[in-house]
Amino acid sequence: MKVLVIEDERELSDSICSYLANEQFVCERALDFHTALEKVSLYNYACIILDVNLPGGSGLDILNELKKEMKIDGVLIISARNSLDDKVFALKAGADDYLTKPFHLAELGARVAAIIRRKSFEGKNQVILNELMLDLSEKEVRINNKPIDLTRKEYELLLYFISNKNKVIAKNAIAEHLWGDNMDLADNYDFIYTHIKNLRKKLIQAGAADYIKSIYGMGYKFSA
Amino acid sequence: MKLFAKYNRINLLATIIIFLLASTTFYIAIKYILIGQIDDDLTIEEREIKTYIKEHNILPEPIPVKDQKITYSLSNELLEKRKFRTVPAYDPQDKEKNSYRVLQFGVGANGKNYVATVAKSLEGTDALINSILLITSTTILLILIVSLIINRVLLKRLWKPFYYTLHTIRNFRVDKKQRLDFPFTSIDEFAFMNQTLEKATNQAQQDYLVLKEFTENASHEMQTPLSIIRSKLDLLIQEENLSEEQSKTVQSTYQAIEKLSRLNYSLLLLAKIENNQFAETSSLNLKLKIEEKINAFHELWQSQNITVDTCLDDTTIKMNNELADILLNNLLSNATRHNVPGGNIKIEIRNKSLRISNSGAQKELDPRRLYSRFYKQDGGHGQNGLGLSIIKQICDVSGFEIDYSFTPGQHLFIISWI
Repeated sequence: MKVLVIEDERELSDSICSYLANEQFVCERALDFHTALEKVSLYNYACIILDVNLPGGSGLDILNELKKEMKIDGVLIISARNSLDDKVFALKAGADDYLTKPFHLAELGARVAAIIRRKSFEGKNQVILNELMLDLSEKEVRINNKPIDLTRKEYELLLYFISNKNKVIAKNAIAEHLWGDNMDLADNYDFIYTHIKNLRKKLIQAGAADYIKSIYGMGYKFSA
Repeated sequence: MKLFAKYNRINLLATIIIFLLASTTFYIAIKYILIGQIDDDLTIEEREIKTYIKEHNILPEPIPVKDQKITYSLSNELLEKRKFRTVPAYDPQDKEKNSYRVLQFGVGANGKNYVATVAKSLEGTDALINSILLITSTTILLILIVSLIINRVLLKRLWKPFYYTLHTIRNFRVDKKQRLDFPFTSIDEFAFMNQTLEKATNQAQQDYLVLKEFTENASHEMQTPLSIIRSKLDLLIQEENLSEEQSKTVQSTYQAIEKLSRLNYSLLLLAKIENNQFAETSSLNLKLKIEEKINAFHELWQSQNITVDTCLDDTTIKMNNELADILLNNLLSNATRHNVPGGNIKIEIRNKSLRISNSGAQKELDPRRLYSRFYKQDGGHGQNGLGLSIIKQICDVSGFEIDYSFTPGQHLFIISWI
């Protein structure tokens, strides 16, 4: 699967690519408007990560071009503008999701994974990882085909981990994912610890492997 | 005290004192001169009597003259000294009290010593003095009244441009893009003042605009490097062989970046609110909104053993939806963050107001600096000190009032609308 990163800031673009690139994804880059336009009209991508402010034009014009050509590439807008209007406008124009800078790569990873899931497994809506099975429409988790009871936060946490599997996720990124940036309480890490501890206990008790590891108190890693 | 009143008071006092002093001096001077005149008359009489006696060696027959009496009385020895004095006497003719000026001197006639007394009525003099005094005091009173009226009318008219300017400047808001319209005035001082004020206010608005743009641009520009640092950190922690020491360093860097991002977000938000980028309002059900927030905070409160009491009347308010979210998030975050373990939070909607109170520090927040940017109560590290500024700013643009009150251990914020 190919992912295209359209972002004029080379350093940021580098980071995104090295985070996303793995056995599953191939990451391509476009640093300006015209390269981007050329690439999107020539190839198909599973997901396009699109910055709004580009040298040479607006990212929203690329989005319009995609829609005109009836392409079904998933589009995740990344922008420094964080007002509700900007988000609504981008989503109405046909973007699949909107992420405000500065963001955590883990958050980006989760959003990209969600978009690709939505685009590629139409109707099925399941995530399967070894003995784990997540039903996305029912928000239900089964282990070895036996349903387990998770709270909403625990479910979100598990999906977040699976979307970023084999990556170390910083505590800050987890806090922000679970509570959003508005709550201004993301520095309350004890709280995250409790949730992760409970999730881990429930998974192990239901017969799953011990996937979640703490990394020096810096963050957590879901290894599979 | 108004300028007029102060001016009039001083003016009146000075005028009255001067007039009183002048009248007294005038009275004394006139009296002195008139009495001197009468004394001269009496001296002439004395001289005539003495001349007569020298020629005839007898006392002259007193000739009855109006307002003048001459009497003689025997005395043992010759009176050497002449004596002037003023004596009050009753005049049976006019049936009123009258003063007399009296001169006594000794004369010798026929080998006998006499005391001659020449008395002259002061009736005419007194009348003169009285009428002079009456005229003077009437004039003074008139002058006072007239000057008071003139001062009042004239000063009021003269100062009119000043008050107009004052009125104009009172409506001046540095964050509003309105040009001040000062009236034309022919008085140089006021014209100069208006000119100076116009220049100063325009400059202030200009500076404010530049500053505002600067904040917004700076915040925007900071977004990209922040994104890069954050993403590099996210990549750095993927390294397999980070030591524990290195992990700690990365962790600290994360915290700092988090703080910086939050600060940047808050500054940008403030700039946007000031720029009226949240002008669109709609009717919101405040009760539903708060219940939504209570759900979001529920877990957090539980984990800190904070009890929450609510008493929510069904209320609809008109404000921007996004700002409402930010306002409530900030208020509830504050009530949580500054709480004590096992404390309480009380949320009420009643009488067109939202009251959120929480247990917390025993010290009152400084009400004067409460809403200032970067104001932090002692021990407030970790926050950027912009939360309350944002709350205040949102209240301002939404037309709400915000009040803070403190009873020992309880902090209460009241947001009221009309």
